[in-house]
Amino acid sequence: MIDSESTKNLSGQAFDRRDFLKVLGFGGTAVALSGCGNTSIEDGKETVVSYVEAKDYVIPGVAVYFNSTCAQCDAGCSITGKIREGRVLKLEGNPESSINRGKLCGLGQASVQHHYNPDRVREPLLRNGDKGQAISWEKAYELINEKLQGAKGEEVAFITGDVSGHQKVLLTNYIDSLGSKNHFVYEAVAPAVVRAGNLKSYGVEMPRYRIDKAKVVLSFGADFLGTWISPVHFAQQYAAFRKGVDGQRGVLIQAESKMTLTGANADRWLAVRPGTEGILALGIINALGIATGDVAELVKDYDRARVSRDTGVEPSNIDKIAAILRLRSPSLILAGSAAEGYVHGMQNADAINLLNHVLGNVGKTIEAPVSVPFPQLTQTKGNTASLKKLNDDLAAGKYKVLFNIATNPVYTAPASYKYGDSMAKAGFKVAFAHYLDETALQADLVLPLDSEMEDWGTHVPEYLADTAQINIQQPLMERLHANTRGMGDILLTLVKQRKPEEYKAFDDYYGYLRYAMLQNKAALGGSGDDDVFWNDTLSKGIVKLSGASGALSAKAAVEGLKLPQPEEADKQYPLRLIPSVTSNLRDGRHTNQPWIQESPDPLTTIVWDSWVEVHPKKALELGIVEGDIVKVTSKTGSVNVQVYVFPGIHPEAVSIPMGRGHEAMGRYAKGYGVNPFGIMDAVFEGSTGELAMHETRVNIAKTGQRVIVVKDEGPAGGKQMGRRVALSRSTDQVDLSKEV
Amino acid sequence: MSVTNLLNNWAAVRHFHPIDDKPHDPYKWAMAIDLDACIGCNACAVACYAENNLPVVGREKFQHGQAMHWMRIERYWNEDSREFPDQGAEFLPMMCQQCEAAPCETVCPVGATNHTQDGLNSQIYNRCIGSRYCSANCPYKVRYFNWYDYPTTDNVWPAEMNYQLNPDVTVRGKGVMEKCTFCVQRLRAAEVTAKGEGRIVREGEVQTACQQSCPTNAISFGNLVDPESRVYKQWKAQQVDLAKDEQEKDKREGGTDLRGYRIFEDLRPYPSVMYLERVRESAV
Amino acid sequence: MKDIREDIAWAKINQDVMKSLENPRPLYWVILFFAVLTFGIGIGCEVYQYQMGMGVANLDNPHVWGLYIATFIFWIGMSHSGTLLSAILHLMHADWRKPIYRFAEAMTTFSLMTAGLFVMVHLGRLWQFYYAVPYPNERWVWPNFQSPLLWDAMAIFTYLSSSVLFLFVGMIPDLAIARDNMHSGWRKKLYTLLALGWEGTDRQWRNFRVTYLTIACFLIPLAVSVHSIVASDFGMSQQPGWHVTSFPPYFVAGALYSGCAAIITLFIILRYVFKFEDYMTLPILKKIVRLTFAIAMVWTYLNCIEFASVWYSHDAVSKDLLIQKMTGPYAPFWWAMIFCGSIVPLVFAIKRFQTNIPVLFATSLLLNLGMWLERWMIVSPTFSHGYYPWTWDHDQWPSMIQWGIVFGSFGWFTLLFMVFCKMFPSVSMYEVKEMVYHRTLHLKQNGASEQTVEQGVH
Repeated sequence: MIDSESTKNLSGQAFDRRDFLKVLGFGGTAVALSGCGNTSIEDGKETVVSYVEAKDYVIPGVAVYFNSTCAQCDAGCSITGKIREGRVLKLEGNPESSINRGKLCGLGQASVQHHYNPDRVREPLLRNGDKGQAISWEKAYELINEKLQGAKGEEVAFITGDVSGHQKVLLTNYIDSLGSKNHFVYEAVAPAVVRAGNLKSYGVEMPRYRIDKAKVVLSFGADFLGTWISPVHFAQQYAAFRKGVDGQRGVLIQAESKMTLTGANADRWLAVRPGTEGILALGIINALGIATGDVAELVKDYDRARVSRDTGVEPSNIDKIAAILRLRSPSLILAGSAAEGYVHGMQNADAINLLNHVLGNVGKTIEAPVSVPFPQLTQTKGNTASLKKLNDDLAAGKYKVLFNIATNPVYTAPASYKYGDSMAKAGFKVAFAHYLDETALQADLVLPLDSEMEDWGTHVPEYLADTAQINIQQPLMERLHANTRGMGDILLTLVKQRKPEEYKAFDDYYGYLRYAMLQNKAALGGSGDDDVFWNDTLSKGIVKLSGASGALSAKAAVEGLKLPQPEEADKQYPLRLIPSVTSNLRDGRHTNQPWIQESPDPLTTIVWDSWVEVHPKKALELGIVEGDIVKVTSKTGSVNVQVYVFPGIHPEAVSIPMGRGHEAMGRYAKGYGVNPFGIMDAVFEGSTGELAMHETRVNIAKTGQRVIVVKDEGPAGGKQMGRRVALSRSTDQVDLSKEV
Repeated sequence: MSVTNLLNNWAAVRHFHPIDDKPHDPYKWAMAIDLDACIGCNACAVACYAENNLPVVGREKFQHGQAMHWMRIERYWNEDSREFPDQGAEFLPMMCQQCEAAPCETVCPVGATNHTQDGLNSQIYNRCIGSRYCSANCPYKVRYFNWYDYPTTDNVWPAEMNYQLNPDVTVRGKGVMEKCTFCVQRLRAAEVTAKGEGRIVREGEVQTACQQSCPTNAISFGNLVDPESRVYKQWKAQQVDLAKDEQEKDKREGGTDLRGYRIFEDLRPYPSVMYLERVRESAV
Repeated sequence: MKDIREDIAWAKINQDVMKSLENPRPLYWVILFFAVLTFGIGIGCEVYQYQMGMGVANLDNPHVWGLYIATFIFWIGMSHSGTLLSAILHLMHADWRKPIYRFAEAMTTFSLMTAGLFVMVHLGRLWQFYYAVPYPNERWVWPNFQSPLLWDAMAIFTYLSSSVLFLFVGMIPDLAIARDNMHSGWRKKLYTLLALGWEGTDRQWRNFRVTYLTIACFLIPLAVSVHSIVASDFGMSQQPGWHVTSFPPYFVAGALYSGCAAIITLFIILRYVFKFEDYMTLPILKKIVRLTFAIAMVWTYLNCIEFASVWYSHDAVSKDLLIQKMTGPYAPFWWAMIFCGSIVPLVFAIKRFQTNIPVLFATSLLLNLGMWLERWMIVSPTFSHGYYPWTWDHDQWPSMIQWGIVFGSFGWFTLLFMVFCKMFPSVSMYEVKEMVYHRTLHLKQNGASEQTVEQGVH
C-alpha cells in the first residue's frame, strides 16, 4: 500500500533532484535553453557553455524521447516527448499505452503550447489592491500557514479537478491534517450522470465499452470520437469497428439533438427532439419485440406512432434501427452527455442502458472494468454537483480559507450561481494556477504551477482499456520559469507544515514519489534492483498491472424508470440551448493555446470565435442568415453572438459551444467569443443533483449587426458543386473484403 | 555561359517525369487516405503545425483567408436538400497532393518548386521570389503564401513559444510560398540512415506527422515502389495506377466496387495521394 | 477636310513646338501636381507593403493575384497603341499619324515602364527579383524557361528597350531642331548631346530612314508577341477562365483597344495643355476615333468568341465560372466591363460625336475604365471560383494599399509622360513639315486658281 502510513517509518534518505536529472540527461538543458532564447551573448545575459563538455543525452541535432502522460484531459493518454537540445518540441502518442496506442489528439499535442505559453504565471502573486505583487515562495507558505492558524478545519475548503495518483494521496493527507472534510472535486464537463446510470444498470460506474467488438453501435449523444471519456481510445476502437469482420463494416447510428463529431460520422444521424432520447430508446425496445416480463410491460405504451410524435424520428427509421439491431449482434448502445443533460437525465440513461440488457450486450460489448488495486491512487471523479454545494457553502460564509487548485469555476459556473461573489466571502483565497484566469484574478494569493512537462506525478485514468495501468508523468525538460513549482512539491511543503515529522525524509515530491513507488515494487510488477526498476518505469512511462476485474450485474434495472412526456414549448423562451462541448475547447481551460484557437471546429470550421448554431428552417423562419449577430436570451441572461446556420441541429434547439468568452487567462483567450455558462439556468438533474446543462430555454432576436464568420469553409458552404472531391458510396456498392 | 551549357543544364533541371523517364528509384513516396476511417478530428492538422513550424495567424488574418494550415480538414454535406444531414458529414483531409506532373512546377519563373527523384514536389524557400504563380495554377489550392513576416509578427511565436520550433524545419519569412512537404525532413533523415546502412527505408520506418497522430489510422504513407509497403498494396488493391489519368476500373461497364480514387485525376496532374471513398450503410 | 492646315510655315512649326517646351497652359502644372501626389501615395503604400509583407494588400491564399496583375496587363496593353501608330501606320504610309505618333510612342515607353513596376510590386520577395533574370552564375542556376512568367519578363524587357530605341531614333532630327533653337543652358547641352551631331545631310537622312524603318519592322512582331505572352500567363495555366486558346488575339485586340482609347484621352489633354490645336486637329482625332471603334468591335467579337467557346466546350467548371462572373459578387464589374467595352464605343459610330471633344474625352475615359475592368475580370474571378469549391473566396476586396499602389501607378505614368512632353518635342516637327511640304507642293502643281485653302478648325 502506498499511503501516508507507509511513509512514516522512513529513515533519512537524500534525493538530489538535480543529480537525478543529470542521470536522465536533463542536466544539459540549461545549456541549450540559454542558446535558444531571446538573449544574446552581446547582452551579457547568456552563459556560454561549450558543447565539448555536453552532458549525457544532449547531442546537438539528435532528438531524445521521454515518456510521460498527457494532462490536457482526463483520458490519461501516454505521450512521448521529442526533446532536442533540452527543449521539448513535439508530443506524440506512446505506443505502449493500451489507451492511446501511439496516437494523440490535437488537444494533447497542443499541450506544448501550454508549457511554453507566454501568459503563464511566473511568480507567486499576492493581492495588493487591484494588483498582484510578486512575493517569494517562503513568504507564500508562511502566509498560508498564518491564515490556516486562524481557521478551524471545517472552515477550510479545497476545490480541485479530477485528481488521482500520489498527488491525490498527498492532497488527501494534507486535507486530513487540517481536519477539513471539504474537498470539492469539480469538473464542468464530466460524465457524472452516465456514471450513476451505469452503476444502476450494470453495477459499475465505468464499464469497458467495446465498440470494436460491436457490429452496430447506437449512440444517444455520446460523442465518443470527440469528447466522451477517452476519445483517442474510442477512435481506435471505431477504426476496428468500421473495418469489421469479413468486410462487414460496423454500423453507427447516432441519435442526438445537436450533431457531434461522432454524429457527423454516423451512417444514420437522427435529429431527436431535445430530452426525448429515453423515449426513443423505449420505442426501439418496443419495436424490437423481444423484451419480456417487466421490460415488456414498461415499453408497451411506446408504440411507433407515439414515439415518432414525441421524438420527431420517422417511424420507418425506428423500424430500420430495430431491424438492424435484431439482425446484427452484438451491438452496443451508448448513453452520452446529450441524453443526460436534463432533469430526467438519469431516466434517459436508464432507458438507454436497458436496451443493452434487452439486446444481451452486457458482457459482450460492455465488459467489466479493470481497476488499479490501490484505491488511494484511483481517480476521485469530478462532477458539477460539488460546485453547487461549494457555492452554497461559500455564499453562506462557511469558509475562511479556500484553496482553488487548477480549476476555473468563476468562468465555468452558471452565472446564476454568482460564484465570484460567493468566492469573495471566503476570507483568504489561494489559487494554484497556470494562468491568471478568471478565478485566479479573484484570489488573494496566486501560486504558479509547473506545466505537466516540468512536473513529476502519477495518474490513474478513470477509463482503463485492456489492462490496469498507472501512468507516469515526468519532466520533459528543465523548468522554464525559475519560480513555478509542481503541485506535488507544493503539497509536500504544505503537509510538512502540519506533519513535519512524517514527511521530513522527503526533500521534494520526486523523492517522495520514487520512494513510494519503490516501496511497492513487487505489487507494481518489479523485481531486482531499485534503480533498474525505477529507470525502466520512467523509460516506459507506464506501469502495467494485472488489475482486478469487477463484475457486471446482468439484471436490468427497470424500477422507477418513468419518462416524462416532452414539454410543450415555452412561449417566451421557445428554444432549447445546447451548450456544446467541442473536442478542441471542452470546458475552456485550453483556450489560451493558439493551435486550439486556430484549429477549426470540425463541423462548422469556425475559428477564434463563438457562434450559435441554428437550423436552416428555423433561420428562415426568424429571417436570419449566417453572420447575423443575434441576442440569445435565457431567464438568466443574454449574450450577443454570430449565427452559423447549421443543418445538424434540431429546429427546436440552438447550440453555443463552450470554452470561449474568457475575460482573462491570456492573449489568445481573452475577448474571443462568448461563454454559454453565462446564460445557463441553474436546473439540476433529479437524482444526482448534477447541473442539467440542456435545460436552459432561450429566445433569439436579431440585433441588426452582421459580421463575416471567420471559418475555413468557403462560401460554397460545404457543397462540392458537382466537382468530384470527396466521394461517397453505400455498402452495397463496395466490396470491402478485398481491401488491404 | 554558352548555349550548350544552358541547354544541358536545362535538361538536368527538368529530368524527372513519370511517363517517359525512369525516376522513383528506389523511392516514390505516396499516400492513401481512407475517408471512411477519417473522423475529422483535426489531430493531423495540429500535428502538422507542431512538426512544420506553421504560424498561427490569428483571427484577423484567418478572416482574410491567410491561414497557413498545410493540412486542412474539409467538411462536406450531402447535397440532397433533406431537412437534416442524416448521413452525417464527410470529412476530407486535403494537403499538397505531390503531383507527378505538378501544374505548379512548370509555371514557377525561377524553378523554386521542382520534382525530386523520390517523387516529392519540393519547394525551395531560398529560391522563391513570391510570384505566387504556382498557387494560381494549383487546382487544389494547397499552397500557402507567407503574406506577413510571421517570425516577427506579434503573438505568433512570442518568447518561449519559439522554443517549440522544430530545428529540422526552416521557419519561413515573408514573401515565400510553402506547402505540405510529406514531412521531407523525416524522409531525408530516414533515407540517409538507410543509405548509411546499405539498404532502403523499410515500411513503417518513417511516418509523416499527420499519419503518426491519426487515431483511426486513416492515413497510410510509404514507398509506392516497395511491394512490401502498405501504400503499394492499397494502391494495387484499389487498381489505381500512378501514371494514368483515367483508371482502367473506371472505364469498365457498370462501374467498380473499389473505392480508391484520386481527386481531379482528369486534369492530369498525376497526384500521389489516393483517397478511399467514404462508405455509408445502405441498410439504414 | 485636310488633316492639317497647309499654310503653316515651317518656322512656325518650329516655333509652336518649341513653345510647348517652355510655357504650357497652367493646367499642366495642376496635372503635374496631382501626378506627383498620387505617385507619392503609391510610393508610401509600396514602402509599407515592402515592410509588412504582401498581406497588407489583402490578398489571400486561394486569391494570390489581384489588382497588381490586372493593372500590369492594363499598362502592357496601353503600350500597344504607340507601336500601332508609329510603326504599323508608318509602314502603311498613313500620313495623319505624323503629328501624334511621338506622344503615342512616349506613352508606349512609359506605360511599359509602369507595367514593369507592377511585376516588381507584385513579387513577394522584391529584393530577390533578379533570380528571374538568366544571368550567368557559377552555380548554373537558371530561371525556369518553361514558365510563361519568365517569357513575360524577357518579352517586356525586349519590348521596352526596343521602344526606347525607336522613340529616341525617331526623335533625332527634332532634337537637332531643339538644339538649334533653344537658348543656351543645360537643356541646350542636353539636346546637343542627344542629337548625336545631326546636321540633316543627305547621308544622315538616308541612314535615319533605313534605321527607323528597320526598328519599326522589328517592333511590330514584338508588340504582338508581348501581349500574346502576357496572354500565355493565363492561357498556359490550367485554371478555368484562363485556359482559353483564343486568349492571345483577344489580349492583343484588347491592348490595341485600350491603347487607342488612351491616345484619345492624351490627345485631348495635350492639344489643350500645349496649345497644339494646329497640329492635333479634329480630322486626325476623327480618324483615331474611327480606328478605335473598329478595334472595339473586334474586341467585342473576340469576347463573344470566348464566351461561346466556353459555352459549347462542355467544360463545366469554366461554364460555372462564366455564370459566376455574370451573377456572382463580381457581376457589377463584369457588366460594367461589357457596358464600357462594347456599348460605350457605339458613341463613336455617331458622326457628330466623332469631333465633339467633351464627349470623346468622357467616352475615352470610360473605355479605359472598361479595359481595366476587363483585366480585373480576367484575373480575379478565377481565384474566387476555381476548381476547388472549398477554397472559394469569401473576402477578397483589395485593400487601400492595393488601390493606393494602383492609383500611384497612374501618377507615375502621368508624371513621366508630362515631364517628357515638357522636355522633348511631343509633336514630330520634321514629319509635320513633310505633311505641309507635300500639301504645298500639291497646291503649287494645281495652280493658284484653287483658293479654297481650308481653315483648320480651332
